[in-house]
Amino acid sequence: MSKVDMAVDFAGIKLKNPINTASGTFGQGWQFDNFIDVSRLGAITTKGCAAEPWPGNPKPRMTEVPGGMMNSVGLQNPGVRAFAAESGEYLADLSAKGTAVICQVAGHSVAEYVAALELFEELCPWAAAFELNVSCPNIAAGGAACGSTPEGAAEVMRACRPITKRPLLVKMAPVRLPEIARALEAEGADGLTVINSIPGMAIDVNTRRSKLSKPTGGLSGPLLHPIAVRMVWEVANAVDIPVCGVGGVMTGADAAEFILAGASAVSVGMANFVDPTSSVRILEELEAWAESQGVSSITELIGALEC
Amino acid sequence: MPSPSPARMHSFEVVSNEKIADGIFSLVISAPELARAIKPGQFVNLAVPGNAMSLLRVPLSYEVADADAGTVTLWYAVVGDGTHRLSQMQPGDNSDLLGPGGHGWTIPEGCGRALLVAGGIGVPPVLCLARELAHAGVSFDVCVGAATAEKLVGVADFEALGAASVNVATDDGTAGHHGFCTDAVQGLLAQNSYSYVATCGPEPMMAKVAAAASEAGVFCEASLERMMSCGFGACATCAVETKSGMKGACMCGPVFDAKEVVW
Repeated sequence: MSKVDMAVDFAGIKLKNPINTASGTFGQGWQFDNFIDVSRLGAITTKGCAAEPWPGNPKPRMTEVPGGMMNSVGLQNPGVRAFAAESGEYLADLSAKGTAVICQVAGHSVAEYVAALELFEELCPWAAAFELNVSCPNIAAGGAACGSTPEGAAEVMRACRPITKRPLLVKMAPVRLPEIARALEAEGADGLTVINSIPGMAIDVNTRRSKLSKPTGGLSGPLLHPIAVRMVWEVANAVDIPVCGVGGVMTGADAAEFILAGASAVSVGMANFVDPTSSVRILEELEAWAESQGVSSITELIGALEC
Repeated sequence: MPSPSPARMHSFEVVSNEKIADGIFSLVISAPELARAIKPGQFVNLAVPGNAMSLLRVPLSYEVADADAGTVTLWYAVVGDGTHRLSQMQPGDNSDLLGPGGHGWTIPEGCGRALLVAGGIGVPPVLCLARELAHAGVSFDVCVGAATAEKLVGVADFEALGAASVNVATDDGTAGHHGFCTDAVQGLLAQNSYSYVATCGPEPMMAKVAAAASEAGVFCEASLERMMSCGFGACATCAVETKSGMKGACMCGPVFDAKEVVW
């Protein structure tokens, strides 16, 4: 048993520890049940779901790059109804064991976010919070993400806010962060997840084709960790609502950097693919670090960066 | 909830790692629990040391598992950084893997004669199936192809397993028929009565085999390959387009009913 109290408050949810999982890297949780005790984690964030099923992008959807990977999955998902029917029982049980289940909400337009969130609100009583993924391409905006401008992000939050009393988080695209964060806070967001994958390109120079089925893809992994830490620090300084740090966390020290930069929670992403036991190992390493800092609660270390 | 992947984490030790053809290696690993659990057509996802900047595992099908010896033999082509590093591993080296992944071949109940079509590095899972068929006393023909004679593997193994015929083809004509291994498929399908066709190799090759089998009205399975981040159903990167939507090669495959695949 840790000598340090690892519990944190995150967006009105009491987490038994700050370790969460990045949406899209942890399935719906049960995929990891044979490798770890998922209920040791403070939270998990489920793969994004829309009101109706999305087929996702053609192959190839993934290419490895030095220090990370790029994906163009295109948010393939079965729709909220099938998600709740398939994984609801498992997630309700996980929630009963004290791990907060955060459901990610996807949409191509404000109306689609609203439709998806209404279904989540109705079908997922076990969900502790909902995370709006405002990085999906917005059809009405010619493919630009709703979350790429303060106005667009605020519009999604304004439309979604009345639908649920449960905490609403926003998974932020890595653009114009402080101003978009302030716009979301003003519209009633309870917390911010920073950052989503960074758009990148990888080209096969022999075939002159993208290594993915689309010209660009989402870059993730430890290669972008220092960028994510800087962005978390900027957002944490710009708003009063809590931040969950995401981006290339491979070790407890990586997670600790996010905490010191001002994050109340930290999500493990690509590391889950490399080794499905990573999240629990990172939790143990984070606990050991908190102990080494001589604090009684990890909350003393949130934003404790000295410079 | 749907069934999670049967994969578990296993540590392994390299027993041997030898070049068996141009750019193709045979790796024997000691992993006793895996050797008992793995079934023909399933795959493993290996952590290959040697490059701290390369994080993801290398998914490979296997050629044979020996439950008594506790070993699994994997044939692989050196095609990129991961398989290059794998070719550098020495006997006694250790690492870990996730496996067995996915589901393998489904030999039909009361299977009559079978036709196996393997191209390039698609040979290992097909050879694995041939062993299973031979064990079950099912007669089978083989079409096996490669770019050149130097890249051709498995011919002697298929013969040793008692294949009714082994039809060899190379793209450059340096061994067997000058052309594709699929050139013999239609003739064999017309000549013999089959109850099962199984194929693994380049996707255009498998598409041809699937079309020919479908025309002949024979059940056909194909083992597909995809870029894969996790290998246990969490990442959605290894999607295969099927008639009932996108399906992960790691969980719904790598062996698919060929008529379900959108080629």
